[in-house]
Amino acid sequence: MKLLAVVDASIKKEGLQDLTMKRTVASVPFAGRYRLIDFALSNLVNSGVSTVGVFPSYPLASLLDHIGVGKSWDLDRRKNGLYFLPVTQRDGGISSVGSFAGLEEHLQFFTKSIQPHVIVTNSFVVTQLNYKDMLEKHIISGADFTEVVSKGVQLKTYILSKELLVELIQTYAENQIVSVEDVVNLKKSPYTFNEYEYEGYFAVIDSVQSYFEASMDLLNEDKRAQLFLGNRPIFTKVKDEPPTRYVSGSHVERALIANGSTIVGSVVNSLISRGVYVKKGARVENCIIMQKSTVEENCDLSYVIADKDVYIGEGVVLHGTPDRPIVLRKGANVSKEDLR
Amino acid sequence: MNNKVVAMLLAGGQGSRLKSLTYTIAKPALPFGGKYRIIDFPLSNCTNSGIETVGVLTQYQPHVLHSYIGLGTPWDLDRRNGGVTMLPPYAEIDGNKWYSGTASAVYQNITFLQSCDPEYVLILSGDHIYKMDYEVLVDYHKEQGADVTISVLEVPWEEASRFGIINVNEQMTVMEFDEKPENPKSNLASMGVYVFTWKKLKEYLEADNINEESSHDFGNDILPTMMENGEKMIAYPFKGYWKDVGTVDSFWEANMDLLDLNSGLNLHDSGWRIYSSNPQLPPQVINKTGNVQSSMVNEGCVISGEVTKSIIFQKVVIKEETVVSESVIMSGVTIHKGAKLHRVIVPPEFEVPEGFEVVDQGDKVILLTDEEVEKWKERGER
Repeated sequence: MKLLAVVDASIKKEGLQDLTMKRTVASVPFAGRYRLIDFALSNLVNSGVSTVGVFPSYPLASLLDHIGVGKSWDLDRRKNGLYFLPVTQRDGGISSVGSFAGLEEHLQFFTKSIQPHVIVTNSFVVTQLNYKDMLEKHIISGADFTEVVSKGVQLKTYILSKELLVELIQTYAENQIVSVEDVVNLKKSPYTFNEYEYEGYFAVIDSVQSYFEASMDLLNEDKRAQLFLGNRPIFTKVKDEPPTRYVSGSHVERALIANGSTIVGSVVNSLISRGVYVKKGARVENCIIMQKSTVEENCDLSYVIADKDVYIGEGVVLHGTPDRPIVLRKGANVSKEDLR
Repeated sequence: MNNKVVAMLLAGGQGSRLKSLTYTIAKPALPFGGKYRIIDFPLSNCTNSGIETVGVLTQYQPHVLHSYIGLGTPWDLDRRNGGVTMLPPYAEIDGNKWYSGTASAVYQNITFLQSCDPEYVLILSGDHIYKMDYEVLVDYHKEQGADVTISVLEVPWEEASRFGIINVNEQMTVMEFDEKPENPKSNLASMGVYVFTWKKLKEYLEADNINEESSHDFGNDILPTMMENGEKMIAYPFKGYWKDVGTVDSFWEANMDLLDLNSGLNLHDSGWRIYSSNPQLPPQVINKTGNVQSSMVNEGCVISGEVTKSIIFQKVVIKEETVVSESVIMSGVTIHKGAKLHRVIVPPEFEVPEGFEVVDQGDKVILLTDEEVEKWKERGER
């Protein structure tokens, strides 16, 4: 494969602050058992790319724990494979994709590799992109840059030659440009630009609201079918969870549920991650409940996003709205008394 | 563990009473409990008991088992020293030697055992569902100063004649073996789990190998000979869930036991996890028309029908207007619209046709086959 990959996992999204207190945007849990970065990594692997540099920024412990040596994506190779390349983000970080300052810190990743083309992508867009097809179209176009667009939205994924990328990294300061995204948006001369039209499902996750909407999209059969393809699976770090138990008297309707959970109460229009316990008499509607969280007896929740390890005490009533879902941060402990 | 223990897991059995379920896979590879295979239980017991060297003896249809176990990663048995070693029969200078009995299987891997240099050898069977701390068993063996310890389970008296019964004295010394006795004198059944002091075992395996009268079986030959010779043979009383899933009925029962919180078989116990290989599949989906009660469901399923008291494996699609109860639906199965299944085991990748119902089922547990589907079609034509 002639493609080298950069996954820019350093970008912070202010709108996602509640979910990224202790993790990168790349490691935000999504769709019951995944992390956002799984989609970029799986697309790369499914497109035959086997040299992948992940460029994260702090706090990166959760991302490192998730990716490890890349085994889940078959990127634990003797030759090539996964490179974990943290960036220090001097000047507080750049919020556009493919920051040259960040890439410069690991210039060797580019100079030592043999692939002639580079794909620069991000970890906050959920897609089923075929980079192989994109590379072919890029080469045919003869342009310097190819950018992915879908229905007028930029998906912030680019292909360019490695030679050009290295040149840009070495000269960005004098040229007054900060990132690959920046060059493409400014349509800098003398470069030529091409667009690659993507037609499948996509979601740009840059706020709690877009996160909530994209999650709810997955309850739609058509959208789900566009994202989870049998021949291009989304890979993730597997946990060994037992089957999910549906106890007698439980009520589940339109829900995406991961393994290892126990459902006694009612779950409607919701996403439930691994190892969640929804107890007797609890009502969970239009919610996202993440890994190892507990919803105690007789709770009544709607439009709530409960991050990992959240404990919602008995009888707690929390109602958000579709536009403003309530976020319970990782490890939060909510009781009826707190809400009075 | 202090003194080195090596486990030899006998996984070569066919399990012919499981009918078409084991035509193409060995019994230990049989899928169980929604996402496991039977062999996950003894392998996970080894990991949880701190046993780090496990030999898996295979013979009948070994391919699935070999590729499933691989390097042993899911059970943390991918070790630099020890770990899991697959031991199929092999050819040697004197010709090909199949494993003719459980003892001959272990005897033929005597070089493997010698290279491990164990103090104790644990003999396990790959076709039982149970959770057991082998460390406690080995400690008991050591405390008793036994040459061999046989793990036994109290079974209901009325069922005792179905098992290999062990008669013991008050000190738990084994006095007599009684294979499926008509009038049992005890209700202690052998679980097929033994600990041997390696030196003794080696001695007896070597003698058994040259004995032309022998059937080379632990239960029939090695243990009776050891008893005749007055070796110290002790029974270890195991308490807990144990089931030999040797027949279609007992296989179904064991699956149903998973749904009964009082059965003693709890997969959700984080203190004694049963590990398994995990495929990359999206979470399960329960649709608007789906209704799941008292059941277990796994990754990749899409449920739009009514499911009660059932074990649903991975990647199962259950369409609208279906009714599934007290059934075991294995991975990759599609149950088409309007089908009704009660007490049915559906083998992997099976397509249950639209409107299907078992013909003349009565109270029986049915293992679904193409013939069953034919029978149903014929009745429809009549």
